[in-house]
Amino acid sequence: MLAEYFPVLVFLAISVVLGAILIATGGILGALLGHSQPNSEKSSPYECGFEAFEDTRSKFDVRYYLVAILFIIFDLEIAFFIPWALVLDKLGVFGLAAMTIFVLELIIGFFFVWKKGALEWE
Amino acid sequence: MLTLTHFLTLGAILFSLSVTGIFLNRKNVIILLMCIELMLLAVNMNFVAFSRFLGNLDGQVFVFFILTVAAAEAAIGLAILVVLFRNRQTINVTELDDLKG
Amino acid sequence: MPIYEIVFYAFSLVMLAGAVGVITVRNPVYAALCLVLTFFSASAIWMLLEAEFLAIILIVVYVGAVMVLFLFVVMMLDINVAPLKEGFIRYLPVGILVAALMAAELLVLIWSKGRFEAGAYPLPAPNPEEYSNTKAVGEWLFTNYLLAFEVAGVILLVAIIAAVALTLRHRAGGHRQNPSHQVRVERDERVRLVKMKPEPRQGS
Repeated sequence: MLAEYFPVLVFLAISVVLGAILIATGGILGALLGHSQPNSEKSSPYECGFEAFEDTRSKFDVRYYLVAILFIIFDLEIAFFIPWALVLDKLGVFGLAAMTIFVLELIIGFFFVWKKGALEWE
Repeated sequence: MLTLTHFLTLGAILFSLSVTGIFLNRKNVIILLMCIELMLLAVNMNFVAFSRFLGNLDGQVFVFFILTVAAAEAAIGLAILVVLFRNRQTINVTELDDLKG
Repeated sequence: MPIYEIVFYAFSLVMLAGAVGVITVRNPVYAALCLVLTFFSASAIWMLLEAEFLAIILIVVYVGAVMVLFLFVVMMLDINVAPLKEGFIRYLPVGILVAALMAAELLVLIWSKGRFEAGAYPLPAPNPEEYSNTKAVGEWLFTNYLLAFEVAGVILLVAIIAAVALTLRHRAGGHRQNPSHQVRVERDERVRLVKMKPEPRQGS
């Protein structure tokens, strides 16, 4: 059955080799053909003519973090759904009840988040 | 031919590497959390390998639960980290010694 | 078939290299990216062990969500990394010593007497064409581990509540609009009718 994944492996190998070739040829040809005379002005960061005001990496807002965290939780919930959906016809009503309890637990969390206003982008 | 030894060796090396990481980066909480994730990955590797070689699915179900708990742990750990940084402006472990007598 | 060995060794090497990267690089952003590489290679090795469902879940949940969270946090806390790397050289010998001891103990345990060699645990036959790993895991999960499944739901609930309670902070002076108030508005709240006597026209 693993043989079915062989094309993926081939694809992966080709992409790695292609990337290595492109980077290598770019680097080697650039070093051979180009001539580099760096000075402090050339290698300084350029921001429309004046000195850079701040660090390149700007701070993210904490609200992105909240969104990401809620994404993880509900992502995992969906991950539990996948095998459940495949075997639901064998599990029957029992499986439906089990998943209902699970979803109810997470709906409590969802309403908590909603009522707290964590989903609002003020 | 691949045997169980191969996979267990891989898990053992990965676990030792992450222990080294905890020693080397004992000031930076973020890297410490990443090393814990690596340890969990090493443990999961053993679980999956045993599950395959013993023909028993318990190991895979365990890994699924470990992934769930690890994601929750990462979420809460990073939330604590954010609050810590907001209050103290640092994540250096050696500066967090308020309870020291 | 040698291709299994080639794939195993290739991805193992990449995985260990990624792990070494995580613990040695200076910048936490690069550490997070190395961790992504490590998880990806581990996922390929799990695929080799025919744990397809877990391999996909590892990529979706770990690479797709947890590592993004790590990257957000690294970029959110704009940290001066130089002092955090102090003592790296100082702790290097003892760290390597402890890790080598630990690895030696584990490997002695694993390698001694050929206890996990092919004789004791032969590689099972590959699963048949119509076998579905996801289905098998689902059947096992929803019958034998039902209680653990519901408890996992509670753990996720705790994670949501803890994360929101810890990090949510309403800022003062936000211009937030409440749509339900806007929709529910009555005429009397917006318009005021004033009774007054008609003014005589000027001039005429």
